[in-house]
Amino acid sequence: MSGPTTPEFLARARDEQRDMVEQYYRDLASAGGPKRPVAYMLVGGNLTEIVRAFGYEVVFPEIVALNCAIKHVSLPNILNAESQGYGLDVCGYVKNDLGLQEMGGETPFGKIPKPDLLVCSFSGCYVYVKWWEALAERYGVPLFVFDVPYMRDRAPQAEDLAYVVTQLEEFIAFLEKTTGRSFDRAELTRVLAQSRRAEEGWVRYLRSGTHRPSPIEAYFEAVFYMFPINVLRGTATAADFYETVNAEVDERIRLGMYPVPEEKYRVVVEGVPPYPSYRTFWDFFRNWGAVSVAATYPKVGGLFDRGFLHDPARPLESIAEYSLGAYVNQSWPLRRELIADYVREYSADAVVIHGIKSCRSFTAGQGDLRDWLIHEKGVPTLYLESDHEDPRYFAPAQIKNRMDAFFESLEQRGATASAAGVAP
Amino acid sequence: MTIVAGIDIGSTTAKCVLLDGTSVVGRSLHPVGVELVKDAEQALEKALEAAHLTREEVAFVTGTGYGRFKVSFGQLVVTEIGCHAKGAHFLFPETRLVLDIGGQDTKAIRINGKGEVVDFAMNDKCAAGTGRFLDVCAGALGFDVAELGPAALQARHPVKVTSTCTVFAESEVTSYLSRGKEPRDIVAGLHESIVSRSMSLLQRVGIEPQLTFTGGVSRNEGMVRTLVRRTQLPVNVSPLSQYIGAIGAALFGTERVAGRSA
Repeated sequence: MSGPTTPEFLARARDEQRDMVEQYYRDLASAGGPKRPVAYMLVGGNLTEIVRAFGYEVVFPEIVALNCAIKHVSLPNILNAESQGYGLDVCGYVKNDLGLQEMGGETPFGKIPKPDLLVCSFSGCYVYVKWWEALAERYGVPLFVFDVPYMRDRAPQAEDLAYVVTQLEEFIAFLEKTTGRSFDRAELTRVLAQSRRAEEGWVRYLRSGTHRPSPIEAYFEAVFYMFPINVLRGTATAADFYETVNAEVDERIRLGMYPVPEEKYRVVVEGVPPYPSYRTFWDFFRNWGAVSVAATYPKVGGLFDRGFLHDPARPLESIAEYSLGAYVNQSWPLRRELIADYVREYSADAVVIHGIKSCRSFTAGQGDLRDWLIHEKGVPTLYLESDHEDPRYFAPAQIKNRMDAFFESLEQRGATASAAGVAP
Repeated sequence: MTIVAGIDIGSTTAKCVLLDGTSVVGRSLHPVGVELVKDAEQALEKALEAAHLTREEVAFVTGTGYGRFKVSFGQLVVTEIGCHAKGAHFLFPETRLVLDIGGQDTKAIRINGKGEVVDFAMNDKCAAGTGRFLDVCAGALGFDVAELGPAALQARHPVKVTSTCTVFAESEVTSYLSRGKEPRDIVAGLHESIVSRSMSLLQRVGIEPQLTFTGGVSRNEGMVRTLVRRTQLPVNVSPLSQYIGAIGAALFGTERVAGRSA
């Protein structure tokens, strides 16, 4: 482990995570290109286990984009994409990637290799499909687009499951043809076992937000810990990492060291973070003694905490269940019920929603969510808006003003949703 | 006698109110410049001068508004959302909904019977539907802002201003002028446009009586009448409507002082 320890609370796993991320990008950028062929994939419902079983390294351009934003280098990429003709309203992830590709893929954390394969694992966002098509045209590499139906019920319907499994079988045949390798079911089973171990550790970490005070920051901190569960899932490295994280969480509880030492407000957060102003936004919460005890965004890659875990004994079926059940693939009634459940289970006082301008797929409906939580559930809820990639949309004074007013009102009323209970 | 001061540093004006218990004993209002700390000090000095009081007689100072952190000599800062809620409740105790239209912000605030904020909604990062919107359009029409309200009341065939952007609305005003529309009809259209934007904020938090209208734009009679017509509610407007944020700030100070001595 190396690097500084965050002074506010024990954060040794954070240092390890930082090393892991740096190593991942170093490997991608190693001289002569990465050791293995590269598959680009989307986080939502990703099929990392299958492509890993075929020997691919996985790159998630969404994660590259958020890393660019958090390191304050997304704007030049976005401007480059806009100069190519992509409009102001186009998704910031898409523009960051297409601008970055145009400029050769160099980032402060390493050169991002070109794809050998494009897997559009989430088709709920049509812009994403077009993004992958643009990359396929640019690089002339194979593209496989999945069609994953939206979830209408808590459990996947049989016909949806069969539909996705059929596509997975087609995908495997496609990979066998593309790579010239035979599908190794035993290898997939082995990879899935590692995935499951990582998922169990991740869930244990997330559930520790039920403690009072919370030993974890389930939004700002958990976002860092999403990297292994999304990017390195299926490796022993990811599974081992969560053992380190949970040992640290246990130690925090034992030592009484918490992300917010004097916890005043327990908050559930919904929405993608404003990565270009990540620290500033986090400070706005900390200034009020507010800690996020649960959040939806860290589950965009999978709702493992709601009972789903990959099953090595049912490889394709469980991968299909996973893809269908990803948070981004949930209908709004399911999303809002999940958030209300989090408020109740994690004894939260309020919900903060962060909407992002350039993603209607994730954000549309959040205004109604706010109204539903306030009027139907009696949960104090704040809606804020900026962007996940584009720093031009983050107005610190206005966001701070809204947050100050919101927490002031909670303080003034001295009433909490947890004390009052969430309306049935 | 316990004098407390509330200083509201907004985007266009600085306001100060001195309270003695429940009585406003002094007030001031002046445009803000670039040195907000000086504006805050000046606001206090002018209010003290009006009340024939000295700085030493002020027991507590609360800052509010976008420049609240520039009231560096104060003991408390509170957002203008909380202050408008408290100030409106103080002047009109049955208030449950506050509409504040200031220089750059429009806020709909739902409050409870104690004057505490229950919910609020604000305009997005855009000045359309705010005082600035009226300033810009008044300029395009050759009006002084104070003339807009009376002009709107004279309208016969209000035009429809469709643009949701201040800059584009100014172009729309110019276009209507070039087509020979009466300025008063254009002004009425502008008022309608602002109230339409305000209505969506009010509906977001829930419309219920009583509604109190605050901020500089509430002094515009044309706006008040349009708001009454659209909400179908009587609308409370105080002669002190521009000072309500500062009054609320001062009331927070009064509570703190009472808490200390309790």
